[in-house]
Amino acid sequence: MVTEVLQLIINGIMAGTILAVPAIGLTAIFAVLRFANFALASHATIGAFAGLVANVNFGLPLVPALAFAFLAAAIAGLVTDEFVLKPFRAAGFITTAIGSIALTIALENVVRFIFGNELRGYDLPIQRDWRFEGIRIGPQQVENLAIAVAVMAAVFLFLTLTRTGKAMRAVADNPMLANIKGINAEMVARIVSFVGMGLAGLGGMLIGLDTTIDPLTGFRSMLSIFAAAVVGGLGSIPGAVVGALTVGVGEELSLLFLSPNYRSAVGFFTILLVLIFRPRGILGQRAL
Amino acid sequence: MSGNTISRRRALQGIAAVAGSVAAPAIVRAQSGTLQLGVLTPLTGAGGFDGPRMLKAMQAVAAEVNEAGGLLGRQISLIVEDDQTNPEAAVRAARKLIDVSKVPVIMGTWASAVTSAVAPVCWESKTFLTTVSGADSITLLPHQGYLIRTQPNNHLQAAKHAEFMASIGAKRVFCLSIQAPFSVPTQKRLAEVLPQKGSELIGSLIYEKDKTTYRSEIDQALRAKPDFLYLNGYAPDVTVMMRDLYRAGFDGGRLTQSYALTSKVLESLPPEVTEGAYTTQPSADVDSPAFARAVKRLGIDDPDSYETQATDWISLVCLTIAKAKEATGTALRENVRKISQGSGMKVYTAVDGLKALAEGKEINYEGASGPCDFTDIGDIIDCKFRYQRVAAAKFKFLKIA
Repeated sequence: MVTEVLQLIINGIMAGTILAVPAIGLTAIFAVLRFANFALASHATIGAFAGLVANVNFGLPLVPALAFAFLAAAIAGLVTDEFVLKPFRAAGFITTAIGSIALTIALENVVRFIFGNELRGYDLPIQRDWRFEGIRIGPQQVENLAIAVAVMAAVFLFLTLTRTGKAMRAVADNPMLANIKGINAEMVARIVSFVGMGLAGLGGMLIGLDTTIDPLTGFRSMLSIFAAAVVGGLGSIPGAVVGALTVGVGEELSLLFLSPNYRSAVGFFTILLVLIFRPRGILGQRAL
Repeated sequence: MSGNTISRRRALQGIAAVAGSVAAPAIVRAQSGTLQLGVLTPLTGAGGFDGPRMLKAMQAVAAEVNEAGGLLGRQISLIVEDDQTNPEAAVRAARKLIDVSKVPVIMGTWASAVTSAVAPVCWESKTFLTTVSGADSITLLPHQGYLIRTQPNNHLQAAKHAEFMASIGAKRVFCLSIQAPFSVPTQKRLAEVLPQKGSELIGSLIYEKDKTTYRSEIDQALRAKPDFLYLNGYAPDVTVMMRDLYRAGFDGGRLTQSYALTSKVLESLPPEVTEGAYTTQPSADVDSPAFARAVKRLGIDDPDSYETQATDWISLVCLTIAKAKEATGTALRENVRKISQGSGMKVYTAVDGLKALAEGKEINYEGASGPCDFTDIGDIIDCKFRYQRVAAAKFKFLKIA
């Protein structure tokens, strides 16, 4: 029983950590631009396919392919935000969020037009799991975990140590005051779109590494990513990490007493419970 | 003044004349326009591999019928919608086909969940529905005869699969099913048939679709110490499970449906992950003349069950419309068995059947997927199955039985 619980916790942490990367992107965009950007789903897909091109077509190994995934999704995020979503902002948050749903469906179909509907996989070796006292851990999982932790650390350092990061936090905290202090909110918006969607793309490829990818890769994961960001407190980066881990571990542990059929339901019961007692999420506040 | 005055009668006559002249082209258009048939296949989503090929098969038959002079003096045109392998999207698309395009038939639903959602829309609108969905529950719906399927139901499929697994030495089978209408009936039937063949179903679970990992589900299955796994899902989830099984070090047998382990999926996975996996699917009737004609028509050596079933739907629909001399859902319901079974002259293509009907003969369409004989509730009576095994990332044909 103890082994089983430990295994489920490990599986949950691994699943949650991967969800945390795009969830950080979502929450960062929300903190600065103040709308839930559902286009994150298609940017995760764009990243997954960009990584596929880098890995399969250009033969790049994992880390450069991940960098390629980040860059492709980041550039797509910057361009689509500038030319598609920005004009919506004057109409309010709801309109912009709905616009982002339309955008994500359009982009998903662009990916489908280019790559088709078939499932595809990366050209990377697959290894058997390591076993420790009846608990199994995959080398790929550990690698994914290390990458996700490194990315999260880099984002944290970027926000706390760099001038741009501090400007982003200032805008997230109080845009009017940031404006008075001379911070260029437009530039901050561009940076957060670039970084946020880049993280979505990187997350999309991390999800694809453990599975396969198709044009619905991002769409399939979007609900879990959104749940992670909301549970943690939409707008809080540490919250996105905590939320992702809560959803991941919660879903896995539910298998102790429930059919796998109800795994997602548990994740969403978790959201309800958290939001009943902490309406702004576990670490909820609008600040990076 | 009086000479220029338009009387009420003349005004009405004038309006009637103008209205008549405006309407006339529409009437002419309606008489000479195409006969529209609805197609609702998954062009995207989990069924995105099979849907486009089914559509192509239907287009090929439609082209052949059109070349031979059409149907009821009109050319056929297919109005195509994508069900996205998604019940909600499928219902919207079905409504469009029925309410806007006014089609008498919808051909092509693939996933059982989609068909279950679309079927009520069809029978309530008196629109005929043809499908490849296998869940037992589908033909048990109160569809009033507005539905036929050329796919064997789960009851038949699960029995055949259980017999196959037992025949290749599986003793302790665990079944992992995706949450779908076919899951519980399949598991129930496996539990009935496996013991009759000296094997047993030692456990089963139903999982959710669209998860990024199934490690915990695999752990749960492996704790039961199976020597064989029946993966009863769709390509996106079965692919993830195949990987997780390899990582977990499982070296027993695996059987899944051909639609869940396609040639494209084989390309996407490392060969060691899929090595030795078995696939099964309802087989086309490879020895029939209808199959030979489908091979020629499609220009491929080996049309699969879905392509041949799609061939048969549109052929049956065309022949039934010709037999009934009207293109309505109710006419299809009332007449489909009059051309698909019985003692009439055997025909193997829509064009041959149309010719025979025009000569006043009774016909019995024998399809590329099988005999196309239907029970009262719309199930086919029998079907063969095709078995393959993966070796070095290629399918190796085992048998049709």
